[in-house]
Amino acid sequence: MTWLSDAVVGRLREVATWPELTSDRYEIRRPVGRGGMGTVYAAYDTVLEREVAIKVSNALVPDDGLEERLRLEARVLARLEHPGIVPVHDAGVLDDGRLYYVMKLVHGETLAARAPALTTEADRLAVFLRIAETVAFAHDSGVVHRDLQPANIMVGRFGEVLVLDWGVARLVDLIESPGIRVGTPGFMAPELQRGDSATAEPAADIFALGALLNWILGDAAVPRRLRAIANKCAQPDPRDRYSNAADLVADLSRYRAGLPVSAHRDTLAERAALWFTKYQTLVFLIAAYLLMRALFAFFQRTP
Amino acid sequence: MAVQGRSRDRAKGVLSLSPPDRLSPMVAYPCAFMRFPVTRRSVLERIREADVDERRAAFGDLATAYWRPSYHYLRLHWRLSPETAEDVVQAFFTTAFEKGYVEKYDPAKAKFRTFLRTCLDRFIQNTRQAESAIKRGGEATLLSLDFPGAEHELAAYPALVVDDADRFFHDETIRALFARTVDAMRDAFTREGKPQVFDVFARHDLHPSADATYATVAADLRLTTGQVTNCLHAARRRFRELALASLRDVVATDDEYRAEARELFGVEVSPERSRGV
Repeated sequence: MTWLSDAVVGRLREVATWPELTSDRYEIRRPVGRGGMGTVYAAYDTVLEREVAIKVSNALVPDDGLEERLRLEARVLARLEHPGIVPVHDAGVLDDGRLYYVMKLVHGETLAARAPALTTEADRLAVFLRIAETVAFAHDSGVVHRDLQPANIMVGRFGEVLVLDWGVARLVDLIESPGIRVGTPGFMAPELQRGDSATAEPAADIFALGALLNWILGDAAVPRRLRAIANKCAQPDPRDRYSNAADLVADLSRYRAGLPVSAHRDTLAERAALWFTKYQTLVFLIAAYLLMRALFAFFQRTP
Repeated sequence: MAVQGRSRDRAKGVLSLSPPDRLSPMVAYPCAFMRFPVTRRSVLERIREADVDERRAAFGDLATAYWRPSYHYLRLHWRLSPETAEDVVQAFFTTAFEKGYVEKYDPAKAKFRTFLRTCLDRFIQNTRQAESAIKRGGEATLLSLDFPGAEHELAAYPALVVDDADRFFHDETIRALFARTVDAMRDAFTREGKPQVFDVFARHDLHPSADATYATVAADLRLTTGQVTNCLHAARRRFRELALASLRDVVATDDEYRAEARELFGVEVSPERSRGV
């Protein structure tokens, strides 16, 4: 009997499910990731002479659930043209019946891997804001992601932030949406945990964004106003959260600009501190002017 | 597989092994199976048959799938000598057949592979039982197995220490399954008059040189790159189909088959439905 080394066994496990593309436009190079729904391969587009990624369904048998999710993901990505969402170039069916779609190949790492390198609050907020802006765009386009979590966020080599894994997204203009169990523990809204995924509203994403904000900020001392923003997102009752991601983005932008935020009622002292922080240059200039006037008056009166 | 073990022609046979380590007919011609899906009975289901001949044949298929991993396991985990490991393998499968080990398997408790390895461990630990069975095994020719070949393969495991017995047995089972699949592929493509399909597969996937690309393989075999692409597609698909069909044969339940296929290839399969080929 043929003897197979560990290396050959490993290679056979890999190549046995490599996509068989009918066209010779794309040359499959290597697998770059595998999820429950599909496997992503790095490939080379011989027509446009560029690297691309091809996501192929894992269903070797007709599996309505998996195929529907992959098809949905391709359509959602195609609908959402945004810098924070991977563009889709092509889609089709392999010889063996599996669905696939071609997209931009992203070089980078997941947010879970990148997070330790984000050492300042400003860095973390900058990344989070990009995520929230992308989700806000999706909500505005009628799409609810339903599974936002650190492993589904990719941070590129040049700081670009991409929201991935739209396979369980819900198109809110569809009457029927797949009512599958979706979400990740720790990031899943209570209504999704109760099994209401088929009617998930943007509020479910807001909850996940709040969990993500708390996660990315970590245990470090966080300003009360910023923590209040995260807590408002993570309210158990969807009606107590931001109504959509755009409102969250607006509040975060106000926080970064040193303005009052809707999630937190400032005390008089906090307002004064905010006002002072915002106008500190002017305050210093006026104080310096008044001090000079006082000194001038003092020395004039002195004989 | 040639009979190359120590002399085993001194007594009547109890089990018949599918020659030579071959896959069952349905496995050898998976395309027909794939095109017209039918409810297949696994080896384990056949072993539970009342019909003695069917049961014996099924047990031979089971031994075909698991004897080589068992032998390597005994040699490397239990550190048995080649002669003792050979006797234990023969005795174990004989005893398993006679005492109905497999019929006692409960899918709710463990994977079949784990169950079988646990049986083997208990068989070894129960020295008296083992000695008795080995003695009886020594008097009966059971299986024609290529023990020298299996022993020769151990050269690829220099000073291997088996830390995780279940993992090792699992890996060996997969290695044996793939090896049988590759042999079946070679036979099938030769029989179909397409040996070059297997040649391309061997050159690119089985024994690849460091610089093996579609172009270099095409140049070596005097083919076009397009032909190499087509051959690889056909060969890989055949490999996948044969391996999955063989896997389906030697697991106990549909759920176990799905889980094993997911672990092996990262894909979702169904025992009932299949894509047309």
